[in-house]
Amino acid sequence: MASTSSGDESLRLCMFDLRRGQTEGQELDKILFFHPADLDFSTQLSVIGLSEGLITFTRLFSPEAACEVIEAERHSHVFYEAEPDIWMVMVVEKNKETGAIWRIDALRRVLKEVHSLFVMFHGSIRALIEIEPTGGLTRSQLYPFITDYLSSKPFSPNLAHGIFILFPSFNTFNITNCQHFKSGLALKTAAVVNCSNLFVGKKLQLPNFRETLRERGTVKMLTLARDTALEVQSLVQVLDSCAGNLRCHSMVLFQDLLVSTTLSADDTVNLFTFAVMRLTSQALSSGASSWSYLRKGTGSSEVSSRSTSAPLDSLHSGSGGNHMHNVIRPLQNDKWTKGKDGFLMTDIWGLETGGSPDSAIPTVWLQQTQERVYLLAYQYKRLTLLLLMPTTSIVNGDLSVSAVKQQFIEDASLRVLKIEEKISRGWGGENAYHVKGYRYLVVDNDMEVSRASPSGKVTTLAKETLLALNKLREEVDVEKSRAKRQEKDLEICIRAKNNAWVIARVTRGKELYMALEKASDTLLDAADAVGTFSNRYCSGAFLMG
Amino acid sequence: MMTSDSSSSPSSSGTEFADPNPSTDPGTNSERVQSQLESMNLSEPSEVSDGSHTDYGGGDDDDDDPAEEEVASANGNEGGVSNGLAGTSGDEEIEASSRAEHPVEMEAGEEPPSPTSSGYDGERGSSGGATSTDKADDASETEIREANVDGDTASQHEAAWLPGKRHVDEDDASVSWRKRKKHFFVLSNSGKPIYSRYGDEHKLAGFSATLQAIISFVENGGDRVNLVKAGKHQVVFLVKGPIYLVCISCTDETYEYLRGQLDLLYGQMILILTKSIDRCFEKNAKFDMTPLLGGTEAVFSSLVHSFSWNPATFLHAYTCLPLPYALRQATGTILQEVCASGVLFALLMCRHKVISLAGAQKASLHPDDLLLLSNFVMTSESFSPICLPRYNAQAFLHAYVHFFDDDTYVMLLTTRSEAFYHLKDCRIRIEAVLLKSNILSTVQRSIAEGGMRVEDLPIDRLLRKKPSSTPNPESLTDVSVGTGGPFGLWHFMYRSIYLDQYVSSEFSPPVTSHRQQKSLYRAYQKLYASMHDKGLGPHKTQYRRDENYTLLCWVTPDFELYAAFDPLADKAMAIKICNQVCQRVKDVENEVFLQGASPFSW
Repeated sequence: MASTSSGDESLRLCMFDLRRGQTEGQELDKILFFHPADLDFSTQLSVIGLSEGLITFTRLFSPEAACEVIEAERHSHVFYEAEPDIWMVMVVEKNKETGAIWRIDALRRVLKEVHSLFVMFHGSIRALIEIEPTGGLTRSQLYPFITDYLSSKPFSPNLAHGIFILFPSFNTFNITNCQHFKSGLALKTAAVVNCSNLFVGKKLQLPNFRETLRERGTVKMLTLARDTALEVQSLVQVLDSCAGNLRCHSMVLFQDLLVSTTLSADDTVNLFTFAVMRLTSQALSSGASSWSYLRKGTGSSEVSSRSTSAPLDSLHSGSGGNHMHNVIRPLQNDKWTKGKDGFLMTDIWGLETGGSPDSAIPTVWLQQTQERVYLLAYQYKRLTLLLLMPTTSIVNGDLSVSAVKQQFIEDASLRVLKIEEKISRGWGGENAYHVKGYRYLVVDNDMEVSRASPSGKVTTLAKETLLALNKLREEVDVEKSRAKRQEKDLEICIRAKNNAWVIARVTRGKELYMALEKASDTLLDAADAVGTFSNRYCSGAFLMG
Repeated sequence: MMTSDSSSSPSSSGTEFADPNPSTDPGTNSERVQSQLESMNLSEPSEVSDGSHTDYGGGDDDDDDPAEEEVASANGNEGGVSNGLAGTSGDEEIEASSRAEHPVEMEAGEEPPSPTSSGYDGERGSSGGATSTDKADDASETEIREANVDGDTASQHEAAWLPGKRHVDEDDASVSWRKRKKHFFVLSNSGKPIYSRYGDEHKLAGFSATLQAIISFVENGGDRVNLVKAGKHQVVFLVKGPIYLVCISCTDETYEYLRGQLDLLYGQMILILTKSIDRCFEKNAKFDMTPLLGGTEAVFSSLVHSFSWNPATFLHAYTCLPLPYALRQATGTILQEVCASGVLFALLMCRHKVISLAGAQKASLHPDDLLLLSNFVMTSESFSPICLPRYNAQAFLHAYVHFFDDDTYVMLLTTRSEAFYHLKDCRIRIEAVLLKSNILSTVQRSIAEGGMRVEDLPIDRLLRKKPSSTPNPESLTDVSVGTGGPFGLWHFMYRSIYLDQYVSSEFSPPVTSHRQQKSLYRAYQKLYASMHDKGLGPHKTQYRRDENYTLLCWVTPDFELYAAFDPLADKAMAIKICNQVCQRVKDVENEVFLQGASPFSW
């Protein structure tokens, strides 16, 4: 019998390499990561065996796209081929009572996100395996990384939704109870009472239907007044030349909103995701309180070693293989603090005092330029600046990091102060992007940017409305995936059983999702409402037919 | 005839042994899946015969579902060696050969197919009569579409869909087999093949075992697999006791509908064998069901075919032949009299449309049973034991079927196996009534005239004259023959909830080719699935526009309306038109619906 193991069945997440362990008796070698790590190997292998079997099976009929999802009565198995032959599979338990209703695409985006972040810090998995073919290095990096990601609070950066950081439990709060808390005040109370992260009562909280009006893997932008925009622009120019002749990349955030970036869209999304998880002012301040499920109460921020070390590693690479590798855990909680000079510090990459001073500075891998860069983060109040310098410049001895920091403080700190003030003055708070009467999500797929109603407002929607919208998004996902190469032009307005209108509009790489709960509205009223919204907030991108 | 020159028959659809594509090895692929599952020591697919036995029974060999560029090109590329068994019937031969002989494999003890059923040539959709659309109707998904032939040529339309099994010579090692757009498999829980839409079941034993392994692997984990998605493909599973049904499809159909199709396929099987088949598996897990289904391929292929043209397969409602109210009453009266004499159900039908029906007191007929029954009757024997899966899945009924002409037939169902002569007597009484009131010629006229047409919708004068609110003045001139109904209305379906019946308009330009019609039905199916989500309960209204259609749907406690418009149709005008359609249906409801006498109202 397969999965008879005890423990939490609500989530299994694994990564395996189809090019490994193809001979009998060597099957364990396939496994690069498995959560929960303490699950017995036969169960781990049965999850991977089924996945592998179906990948092969589906390729018989669909050679160009293998298995993407298995829907069973009690579980969904979500597949993501992160790199050629390197697969991630997430098995989640369905449970209507606890609100475990999700969109497969939203779950797949979780897999995509964790892989993209991993690559940003460690490079591609295939490259790691090639460096060290036993897979020990890969496993020893993957286990803590993904475990840290899963134990993030809240379950992963709510990119577009600052309110979740203020009321982190909101999305984890029991749904049936949530129905009773219609007012924001009640929600706050609930949040305090039920302060927790993605592990609630040992259950992982995945992006369920309540998050249907948000899009993981996109960036949320701050809209700037013209004069502020000009000042930001000149700041960016200063940042560009912080390292003398070498061009630096930079990214500026206000709270968890993007102000500016000089990176490509993909790199921006990854770095933005990380910044919102760990670096922004809110991420730092939330770190003060401790509510990680995985942490064992003692105040140590170490996740228990059992759950982070790779159990297979000792098995395969002989004694002490694990300790041979310098394991870096970039997503570790509570590891960043703000220094006196305004720069953020961490010991994740080592202690600055030990060895070469620059070896302790965080580095990330940029996809666009295919180069490794130093990551410097500076924070002033709600403004966070990320400065990215090519590592080669430092290694060659052209520059020292401290010199760059000094240069930055001299050239930019005053501008930063002014910009922070200006933005703060014009900032409408977390409800700045609320549009009265609408609950919406706009996604621009080309730019990887989204904007949505504030979460606090979305919670006022009835559960039926959110479920209907979630289902509608699922239908649109199917249409989009079938259309793949062609541009899809689609408009769907549904009046649900509870009389709410749920609306989807897809056109030229842009998507709009909306819920309107005015019961008296007719179809034409609803269409007009979308038209008005589109004209006012989306430059008329979503003309209604 | 042995063909060794692969280039000489590029269009012959796959009679190859050899896999022309050396880069993949499907045979071992299939084995690999199993070994991947097996290597985990968690599943033990039962041994299966390595069926190399070729059992070719019919000359019916037209190309089937793929009907798309993919397979056309695949066939073109395929070299391989023809095995010669098929007699390599080319496309021209298809019609002749399968008209000449019923494409059903005969088993000992089976009755010969009724002469009327071989005359059956694609009773299709809601259109009737000898119009050109009728011919378009007959060209179906199953016709051959060569890459170099325009899909809409007249000659294509001549190639009527014919029941029977296709491509028996294929198996999972054939590229063409793997590229079929929609597969259906039925297997036993020990992995024995029972039915495959394409290919010889015996040769698919290994593949069947793989399917069984997947299902039981998930079952062993305390779960039940429903769906696997991969790119455009969906693999849908349905477990019915010891019988497993699987559909592998890359058609743009919803999971819900594909699962519904498997359910109907299972129902058709039960209709033929009753659910007592379960007991055979209880006694012997390795029980081989195929002989029991011998000779019924035409029934299944016809049912599968109906998934792409018959809205009853997803609306779960039946449709009536339009008839004057008085005539339908007259037929209803005699049918009810017959029922009073110990007949359980009496149905007078024309093709798949109901003229009238009656049932013994308290006996009610589910629309799905009606669908399966008429599908069975039109493709097989005329007096046979059948089972109505929705009525009583355990028991056989006896169906007496008599065709009055090519289209119109009566079905009398009874629980008594010795009732043949009584039923025959009932039929004579019914026939007398039909002759007396001249109903058969009215039926023929109704077929010729067809049903409701969007062009005939009476347009509110105000709507016509009122300056359109749309910025597009052309929408007014659109009201003309050749572009469907008023204001871009192309088609509609109206389902009466409490009558369990639907009425749909005839296809009008521009929805004329079978391909367009099938595509419209698929759009409706999606709309239907979207509106009837199980968890959320039915939505009330839906407006959906994409590149192909503007669709509107209303679900009310009394009726459901599905309407298709030009994608550029004006929203406000479309809503008004829908209201008029509903009004129009109500005006003619006595003619298009069977009222009152329906057993469902009891």
